[in-house]
Amino acid sequence: MAVAPTKRRFTVEEYHRMAEVGILTDDDRVELIDGEIVEMTPIGARHAWCVLFLNEFFVKHLADRALVSPQGPLRLGRNTQLQPDLALLRPPRDAYRKAVPASADVLLVIEVADTSLERDRVIKLPRYAALDIREVWIVDIEGQAVEVYRAPTPSGYRDAQRTALDGFVSPAAFPDLRVSVAELLG
Amino acid sequence: MAVTLTKRRFTVDEYHRMAEVGILTEKDRVELIDGEIVEMTAISSRHASVVKRLNALLTGRLGARAIVSVQDPVQLSKASEPQPDVVLLRPTPDFYAGGHPEPVDTLLLIEVADTSLPYDRGVKLPRYAAAGVIEVWIVDIAGDAVEVYRTPVPDGYRDVVRILRGGSLSPVAFPDLTLGVDEILGPR
Repeated sequence: MAVAPTKRRFTVEEYHRMAEVGILTDDDRVELIDGEIVEMTPIGARHAWCVLFLNEFFVKHLADRALVSPQGPLRLGRNTQLQPDLALLRPPRDAYRKAVPASADVLLVIEVADTSLERDRVIKLPRYAALDIREVWIVDIEGQAVEVYRAPTPSGYRDAQRTALDGFVSPAAFPDLRVSVAELLG
Repeated sequence: MAVTLTKRRFTVDEYHRMAEVGILTEKDRVELIDGEIVEMTAISSRHASVVKRLNALLTGRLGARAIVSVQDPVQLSKASEPQPDVVLLRPTPDFYAGGHPEPVDTLLLIEVADTSLPYDRGVKLPRYAAAGVIEVWIVDIAGDAVEVYRTPVPDGYRDVVRILRGGSLSPVAFPDLTLGVDEILGPR
């Protein structure tokens, strides 16, 4: 017989309120997943380096075509707010002054995974798909590859492609940009 | 591969703040257990009737010797604030206006269980013991019995007795008070 009680789940508004009134603070590295407030995994040196590399690459090459949001929040539905490692957002910048970016604002989400690969694949990826995020990359540090997911459906991404060290990956929104997997992971 | 997410746990102070600022409202039937805010199980009419019986029996027989607290919070620790079905509290002039009762104020704690028996036994009971609540009764509606737990140790209660219909029991804090199991459970 099940012993587990039902958790009280929170909406994004309640979650934001907790931050406003100081229940959640800057010391909290958390995300809201299906109404549950969960701790984020610690960021190792290689993970941090990949985020730095991607941030620099996109800022340099995109100019005004998109905003680069490293480890910023995305509001995904009524009770999920995730903080992917990097997101490319539609301009203009001022649109985000008062509101957390939502699905329609997102051109690309990138998750960098060292120890968190299964968490990213099993927990986060289906939620990005269900909320219609058009493209997700998972940088697999251990496996030395980048997985590109496109064509979201309510049950997951229809197109998945894994590119190893000898390849390049490009965002669907910016096909002229080519990221060398070797440079990112080598 | 199973993926477990580490929940952000809350302190009693953070939990109270959520109520103050309206994140949690009176519509929320919740408890704080080990830093997690959990929904309380729905109360059946049978469960409610046993709580009402206990309230009437204890209030009637103890008078001013104890405060009978019904489904109100007890601040168990920094991370747990459950709302047990019935608690006998040490009387105070302000009826705990200045702060929720703590384990030291708790003379007897009673949980009424119909569908919640595994949760009451498996999750709540060890926490009551760890906090030093001197005596817990679990009224097992489906099993037609009352379980008495005494002598708390950090991981549970050392003395456990299960009393069936026909039997009777007395709280350690009030040895002169005797309640029959049939009085508590009502007619079958």
